[in-house]
Amino acid sequence: MTLILSLVVGTLFAGGIYLMLRRSVVKLILGLVLLSHGANLLLFLMGDGLIKARPPFVKPEAGVAPPDSADPLIQALILTAIVISFGLLTFVMALAYRADQAVESDDLDAMTSTDRL
Amino acid sequence: MLLTSVLVTFAAAPLGLLARYLPRPPIGWILALLPLAAFAAFAAQAPAIIAGERMSQAIPWVAAMGIELRFSLDGLSLLFTLLVSGIGTLIFIYTAYYLAGDPGMGRFYVYLTVFMGSMLGLVLADNVLTLFIFWELTSVSSYLLVGYKHDYADARRGAQMGLLVTVGGGLALLVGLVLLSTAAGSYTISEIIAAGEQLRASSLYTPALLLIFLGCFTKSAQFPFHFWLPNAMQAPTPASAYLHSATMVKAGVYLLARLHPALSETPLWIYTLTSVGAITMLIGAVVANRRDDIKGLLAYSTISKLGTMVLLAGMGGPEAPAALVATILAHALYKGALFMLAGAVDHEAGTRSLSQLGGLRRLMPWTAALAILSSLSMAGVPILFGFVAKEEQLYAAVDNGLPAGLDIVVLIAVVTSAVFGVLYAWRLVSGVFFGPLGSGMKAHVHEAPAGMLVGPAVLTTLSVILPLGLLPATAALLQPAVNAIADDGVKISLYLIPSELSLPLILSMTALLIGAVLTRFEPQIAAAPSPLPLWFNGDRIYDAAINGMLQGATSFTRTLQNGKLRSYMTWAVLALVAVVMPPLVLFGFNGLVLPNLAGVGPFELVSALLIPVGVLATLRARSRLGAIIASSIVGAMIAFLFVIYSAPDLALTQLLIETLATVFLMLLFAVLPVGFERLTSDSERARDGLIAGLAGLMMAGVAFAAASNMQFASISQAFRAESRSQGFGDNVVNVILVDFRGFDTMGEIVVLFIALLGIYAMLRLRPSVEPTRDDEEAPTPPASLDGATPPEHGQQEQQETASEPWLKA
Repeated sequence: MTLILSLVVGTLFAGGIYLMLRRSVVKLILGLVLLSHGANLLLFLMGDGLIKARPPFVKPEAGVAPPDSADPLIQALILTAIVISFGLLTFVMALAYRADQAVESDDLDAMTSTDRL
Repeated sequence: MLLTSVLVTFAAAPLGLLARYLPRPPIGWILALLPLAAFAAFAAQAPAIIAGERMSQAIPWVAAMGIELRFSLDGLSLLFTLLVSGIGTLIFIYTAYYLAGDPGMGRFYVYLTVFMGSMLGLVLADNVLTLFIFWELTSVSSYLLVGYKHDYADARRGAQMGLLVTVGGGLALLVGLVLLSTAAGSYTISEIIAAGEQLRASSLYTPALLLIFLGCFTKSAQFPFHFWLPNAMQAPTPASAYLHSATMVKAGVYLLARLHPALSETPLWIYTLTSVGAITMLIGAVVANRRDDIKGLLAYSTISKLGTMVLLAGMGGPEAPAALVATILAHALYKGALFMLAGAVDHEAGTRSLSQLGGLRRLMPWTAALAILSSLSMAGVPILFGFVAKEEQLYAAVDNGLPAGLDIVVLIAVVTSAVFGVLYAWRLVSGVFFGPLGSGMKAHVHEAPAGMLVGPAVLTTLSVILPLGLLPATAALLQPAVNAIADDGVKISLYLIPSELSLPLILSMTALLIGAVLTRFEPQIAAAPSPLPLWFNGDRIYDAAINGMLQGATSFTRTLQNGKLRSYMTWAVLALVAVVMPPLVLFGFNGLVLPNLAGVGPFELVSALLIPVGVLATLRARSRLGAIIASSIVGAMIAFLFVIYSAPDLALTQLLIETLATVFLMLLFAVLPVGFERLTSDSERARDGLIAGLAGLMMAGVAFAAASNMQFASISQAFRAESRSQGFGDNVVNVILVDFRGFDTMGEIVVLFIALLGIYAMLRLRPSVEPTRDDEEAPTPPASLDGATPPEHGQQEQQETASEPWLKA
């Protein structure tokens, strides 16, 4: 399954990067979404292994979470990553909205005027 | 005493600013007391050093790394400290007259004093890092002195060139010295020298030596780095006389002499130094005869002599060390005097051009007399110290340690440079002081003020009286310096008149004779075509390199930063692939076995396979709505995977976020124009597809390699065990977020808050000229934060306070 999910990560990255290479602002945003998914899944694969049906909860009788439960650290990291990428997404959406008002175009190449050397 | 002399010099540097307030010429005599005191202090050590003692002093700095401020005084250091402080005294006096009318004289004295302190530190240093620091300080003070007249573009260019060449070489030197210290196991120079045998056998010997050569050659203006020295002649003449002939440019020679006992007599040492030294010697001597500017002439003759010194340091043989120290002394005496006299001529006549000068012997008789004597010394005419040194050179060249064939070549080169030496000395004297009055001079030329002639007079007198009565004393003073360069047993003996008619004497006389004959053809020689091809001109190569660097940087930036996000992305992704792909392919999959698919259940397989389908659908979507739906399939399937693989918190968060993101996207797309325009051509799409596919392949590889390699034990076990006892929570993920890694969460909140401020600024803070638009955008941002809160497990409170400014707004 690791292999399959690795390939899935690859397709997410490929799709995200391809969309971000387009000239449309909307596609850029969609690319960002796919890229975030890819990054989260990549992180998930780096944990202690894919473990089914044993979430990292403390067993009341033992007082500790079982050593063979899923990796809690990687989940905490991904949780942070999901929220951050959502913050980024809303920021980019506001930016796109503002840019549309200012430039009245969906074309990124129409927005290069301040960035030329 | 050693440390004190260096520190006091640096501390006294600001005293130069007194020149602003005190009467002009006398200030030079007052300030000259500082170098004079240093000279007296070092001269007082001479008897002990001659007796074979060696002073040493160290202050630990970073003891663990062998960095310490360590100084020592032996014969070689003594020779240089006496030159630096002695000539320094004369230069300090001379400056007050030379710059008498210049408002910036105080600044000039500060630079000169800083230079003197650096040079003393350089020749006294007994730790390679101490040496390096002072080495670079001399480059910096040289930069300040050359650029003293910074209103002139030429002065700025000369200063920058000298700095870039010498500091660039200095960096190579640093690496070389560190390699050397690594090989020797010590940063102390005296210990490095003691480890000579071990060093020459070390594998680091060749790289270390080559890098050190680079440092020495740039500093001492050796071919092909010699071009900076003539350009440094933009400096006021006192600095040229002091730094660029008598002392600083000899730092490279000093270091070669210092390391000679440890590193010499290998083929690399001998052949490199012999060839570079000989080429520099000849080029300098030839070009000096083609220069119209008298300072340029003196600069090239200095280059020639520096080449001679490097040649003497390299070629070996019993006489070479003695010839080296004699040449250093003789050159400092006559060249220091000649530079100061050239400055006097420039000061009085208003020009330095040979074609505009002439006949000054009647107008400036004292200057003429001193210049003629020093030039005779430079030409190597008998009874002057220059002759004694040239005899030593010829003895060394006749009896050199080079293999047959090469020894003759070197001997011929030395004799040839002696011939040219006669020629340029004659050119200087005849062009400035003889013949008809020059055309380009000031109307009423007077003798230079006496204060400007003190320095040249002292140096010239030394050139005259040392051979007449003080040769044994000079030899005694130089003997410890020779001992520092060569193994014990090499005796220096200076002759004025050799006891028998020897080959060196014959060669010396022949050189004088040929030189004298050639003076008849001086105009033809000065006009002869250049010995080097036209393109091979350090100045031009330097300019081309500087311009090329600037233009290259500009066009590089223009290519990479063309203002298009796509092109930034393309370069970034390609760079990432280029960096990660090779090690991944080479090492990433070592020892990995393809896992079997036996344990794969239907649910995870279906959800995993739906993700690429969703990606593909997003890519191919014709409408925006379709793209949004396709991308939310991806998000939902990932949430489902989280459910399957024991991550309920992640699944919850992912689902909520996914829902919100979908809603926002729809809101946004409702405002933006509908439908996708086709903006790129098929070939662009194919290219981007290739780049994205490559990156995707790489990321798949990274994911697989990372997931399958467990080289280090996971730290998660501690979290599992400590969750309840330390964090008082049963959901380990939540305990990590709010407790174990609470600061990370804090940072996350800060990031969200900054994003919030940014959104607020973009949507609200602007001239309210479009009131109707404001209503439309209102729902988006506040919803985003309310929505972001719930999944964050125990962060609601912070999140809500964070969103308050927005709500108020």
